[in-house]
Amino acid sequence: MTTTIILLLLVFGVYLVAVLEAWISSGRFRLTTPILSGIALLGRESIVPRKPDRIFFEVAPVLLLLSAVLAATVIPLMPGLIITDLATGALFINAALVYVLVAMLMAGWGPDGAYAMVGGWRFLGQLIAYAMLIVMPITAVVMRAESLLTTQIVVSQDGLWNIFYQPLGFVLFFIAAMALAFLPPFDLPTATGELAGGVEAEYSGVRLAVFRLGRLTLIITLASATVVFYLGGWQGPWLPPWAWSGIKILAVTVTMLLAGRLMPRISETDLLAWCWKLGIPLALLNIFLVGILVLVIP
Amino acid sequence: MTAQMFFIAFFGLAAVWFGIAVFRTYSMVRSALALLFSQTALGAMFLSMQAEFLGVLQIMMMATEMSIMAIFMVMFMMDPGGLSTMDMIHQKRLSLLAGIVSFLAAVGVAVFVDWGPVEMIAPDPAQQTIALGLELLGRSMLIFETAGITILTSMIAAISVAIQPVKQNTVPTITGSNHHEH
Repeated sequence: MTTTIILLLLVFGVYLVAVLEAWISSGRFRLTTPILSGIALLGRESIVPRKPDRIFFEVAPVLLLLSAVLAATVIPLMPGLIITDLATGALFINAALVYVLVAMLMAGWGPDGAYAMVGGWRFLGQLIAYAMLIVMPITAVVMRAESLLTTQIVVSQDGLWNIFYQPLGFVLFFIAAMALAFLPPFDLPTATGELAGGVEAEYSGVRLAVFRLGRLTLIITLASATVVFYLGGWQGPWLPPWAWSGIKILAVTVTMLLAGRLMPRISETDLLAWCWKLGIPLALLNIFLVGILVLVIP
Repeated sequence: MTAQMFFIAFFGLAAVWFGIAVFRTYSMVRSALALLFSQTALGAMFLSMQAEFLGVLQIMMMATEMSIMAIFMVMFMMDPGGLSTMDMIHQKRLSLLAGIVSFLAAVGVAVFVDWGPVEMIAPDPAQQTIALGLELLGRSMLIFETAGITILTSMIAAISVAIQPVKQNTVPTITGSNHHEH
């Protein structure tokens, strides 16, 4: 029952993200956009390129969707509304989302096309940049909660949300999450202008539909994870817990979509340089500061 | 218990099958990702054995490591796609021998070592994580810190070896030949 509810909510969330993304990028607010473009994609022929690596080509979109959905299974929307409250929840989110990289490599290598290949390997470089900035801020969050349980992480933020307790960690995690979901300005693997769609370039029809569905799920999952780790999850006054979760997830999603809208696409070199020379020292500083706070404040 | 045995056997066989797949393809990316899924199956085995933290960690770490290995294999091999008929298998007899010897050694260790009494009921996953943390910061700390420092040192060494030396006098030399130096 819980699983069904969460999966339905995920579908609704994906729909909302699709509407919002279309609204933000085109300026037109239409509730039918995702449905119409979905029907259009399903109606089109799904072309298989010449000499593909067939296994990778077929598996990649499904794996992208699967890893985003798996990461969503450990995210609590309110007390009791979680698919599985794993004792290693905070680690499991990482474990599931790493397979986004594997899916992107497969999507890049599989179709045997130049643009796709460049896009796929670019995402590997992107992972080397953002990966530590996902893991290290989560470490600091876990240090405060003294537990890897995602529900326990939410409970630990009672009274003071992590966004105020460890703002540095929040900023780093937020940027890294945007890079993980390859949202602008980190849309290097798809890069509409220069790579003609990159990893998406050779996909069409139903396969492209699954790929895009996977990416939208990834965005909503990462927004939910941000809410659980930094914005106190379901906590809040007056409204019921599920409403707070919903409002916060929506707010984070909109911020993620808007944040990169007016920024130029970052180059791979700059991303790597900033993440390693600035991001990782700051993440270590964050762990150090949180360590002191945990010891000083009982 | 039966279901647990079934899953352990299933993922064990999957790990072996993907391990064989590593050598049955000439595509470097396929080979690397087959190794990844072999390791993922090992992680799933840990999960079946109720070692949750270990399982999740294995599944997480291997994905990045094998993907990074894939790009190195693509960079350094002459035919990363495996499209030509180049044979990339060599020293077959030696490999066969090494494989059989190490298999027998592993089986020997598994059979002849006294593993002590078998834990019938695994502790709670959260309890396991706490126990692992205490172990890492207690008895095993020196080993892990030594390993960590060694890895860091070799990473720095590898990078400094890989960086091309830059000549200090960058005045372009004009030579009479057709060779261009970059």
